[in-house]
Amino acid sequence: MPLTHPKAPSMATLACLQFALSTLRTTHHAVPAITHITRRNASHQAQGRANGAKDGAGKRLGAKKTGGEYVVPGNILFRQRGTHWFPGDNCFMGRDHTIHAGSPGYVRYYQDPARHPKRKFIGIVFEKTQSLPQPTHAARRRQLGMLAYQMPTPPQPETTPDEHSAAPTKSRDGTTVSIRNSKMNPGGLQLTLGPGYQYRQSNYEIGRSGDKKEAAANAKGKTIRAFAKFKPGDRFAAWRKSVVRVARSRERKVMGRGGKGGAKKKG
Amino acid sequence: MALQRASRPVAQCIRQSSSTLHARTLATTTTTDPSSADAAPPPPSEPSSRTRNPFTASTPAAEKQLAQQKQRPVGSRRRRAALSSTTQIPFTQLPYQAFQEARAFLQEDRREKLEAIGLQRVKIARLQDRVVVGEQDGEVERRKQREKDNRVRSMGRRLEEMKVQADINDPMVKKRFEDGLGDMTKPIYRHLANTQWHSYKRQILLQRLTQMNVVPDVLPALDPIVSTGLAFPTTSSTTAIRSRLKRIQHGDFVPSALSSQPPTLWIQPYNKGTRLCTVAVINPDVPNVEKDGFDHRCHFLAVNIPISPTNTKVRLGELGSTSESKGDVLLPWLPAYAQKGAPYQRMSIIILEQPSPNHTPIVTTLLGAVAESQELDAKSASQDSRYNVRDGFNLRSFVDRYGLKPVGADLFRTKWDEGTAGVMQQAGIVGWDVEFRRKRVEPLPYQRKASERYR
Repeated sequence: MPLTHPKAPSMATLACLQFALSTLRTTHHAVPAITHITRRNASHQAQGRANGAKDGAGKRLGAKKTGGEYVVPGNILFRQRGTHWFPGDNCFMGRDHTIHAGSPGYVRYYQDPARHPKRKFIGIVFEKTQSLPQPTHAARRRQLGMLAYQMPTPPQPETTPDEHSAAPTKSRDGTTVSIRNSKMNPGGLQLTLGPGYQYRQSNYEIGRSGDKKEAAANAKGKTIRAFAKFKPGDRFAAWRKSVVRVARSRERKVMGRGGKGGAKKKG
Repeated sequence: MALQRASRPVAQCIRQSSSTLHARTLATTTTTDPSSADAAPPPPSEPSSRTRNPFTASTPAAEKQLAQQKQRPVGSRRRRAALSSTTQIPFTQLPYQAFQEARAFLQEDRREKLEAIGLQRVKIARLQDRVVVGEQDGEVERRKQREKDNRVRSMGRRLEEMKVQADINDPMVKKRFEDGLGDMTKPIYRHLANTQWHSYKRQILLQRLTQMNVVPDVLPALDPIVSTGLAFPTTSSTTAIRSRLKRIQHGDFVPSALSSQPPTLWIQPYNKGTRLCTVAVINPDVPNVEKDGFDHRCHFLAVNIPISPTNTKVRLGELGSTSESKGDVLLPWLPAYAQKGAPYQRMSIIILEQPSPNHTPIVTTLLGAVAESQELDAKSASQDSRYNVRDGFNLRSFVDRYGLKPVGADLFRTKWDEGTAGVMQQAGIVGWDVEFRRKRVEPLPYQRKASERYR
């Protein structure tokens, strides 16, 4: 019999009860009539919410390739939320923890206590007879997965710079190229290949270039300085310099830095 | 000195005021031109042309003069200022009471430890003099001999510990070690150097070796106890008198042009004694298309190289070439190369210790001494068909055959770059114009559905 919640007594029952109680009562005070009894309708939290989230459609998680199946790189082996299984040998994990095959071979589900005491792994072996985990301290099983071809245009091997070039090799790792007589390098600078695949002068050379030019000019009795060297206390020279600077900056403001006139920009 | 220091600004003031006062008084009292009354205007003050001390030059003018002397300042500017403004009292004689009392306490402690060291030496000598006698000829005597050897060994270890403990509280020892002036013949400096290596660089080396799988691929296990350093010469040794060396960190990529020359290897052991080592450079990533896998190749093999805490530099290109340089080269240096398209190749440098003549276990613990190594017969090794070919060289087999113990390793990597073709051609290696491309893997068959939607 299904359970029902307790219901409030009916009017007839209440009337009988009242009569019974009145016979037992010693006093004859007026008993207030039963005028109105509030009815409580059954309402329970188990009924559920009207606008709540319902159970969604199944996402078809789980194993897609069983142990021993032949797979190719990219094949999905296991779909999961989180890492119930970890990628083992020759497998990789995608951004939603999907385990993919990394190389052609046969799937193996295994545990490797040496790698982690509790985790479960999915790996790939290259031959059907092999198993995982690999024996400890043994050389790893690896597949090359490549073929050798003759190069269509064999590279011109560059002659070793220290035997044939006039300029000394200055680069730190032994690779120097000096691009001379080219449009890109009219100054004939020594450009070395840096770590970001840029051909550039090294920073200390750039920093010293000013000093070098000044020294070269001094050797001829000239100087490349626009103004004389700063002498602390010589206010006249400082005033002359500031006058020139102010005039130049005023001119630049009027003329604009490098494009159209500055006066045109405002308004 | 403090008075001099305090009086310097005052002296400067007096000097300045005397020069100006003279002119001013003359100007106010007489009508004549003060410059004419003066005998001659003082010559313009030149910077004093004395030589500057690189330890004490701290002002900008002094540093500039030092640069003109083509010298570099030593230490930080604060240190130089402190040294120039204080008297040259040796550190141990600084007049601070707590410091001197602490020093006295430590010296007393050191005296006690030295006495204990003397006693320990006497004990060891007495124990070694004791003759082992067994009732039955054989097992009991052997067991007693073994026990005696163990006791001697452990007492020796304790003696080394005590030597280190005697000097470890000395601030001058710490200072000398940090300045790089530690004498590696003394146990305390070896201990400090070993601790420093263990704290960082050895961990880095182990990380590189395990992450790049050198340990299971080349050797089953490796516990480094000697520290290594590697550098390649940047210019050809034939043209330059003294070639510059480029230091390589563990696991670095080295350009082919650089690794075409044999490198310099520093092998620093931390236990006393000279031992003979074998150096093998193995490349476990040589591509083999027929077996669809990788082969090993030996790029260098040399035996009987003497290494000690003070003699650490090994020029791989000069071993066995002159009568002075010891060591026998079985396979000379082959430049490291990786063909185009092949993955990067790991060049592992393994340092192996040669066993002692009567095959006693080599005590290579932190504080133990090393037993004398046996010379490996280079002639017979060079005639052994397994170990005189580079391709397919099996280091595990070589180690087992000669009872070697791996004590150290280094690692660098090589890949195809612009100079590799040239290096391979110069070395006469076949295959400089071969490139590798990935094999096409056939996709798995799947049922194609009828409709266009399921293409």
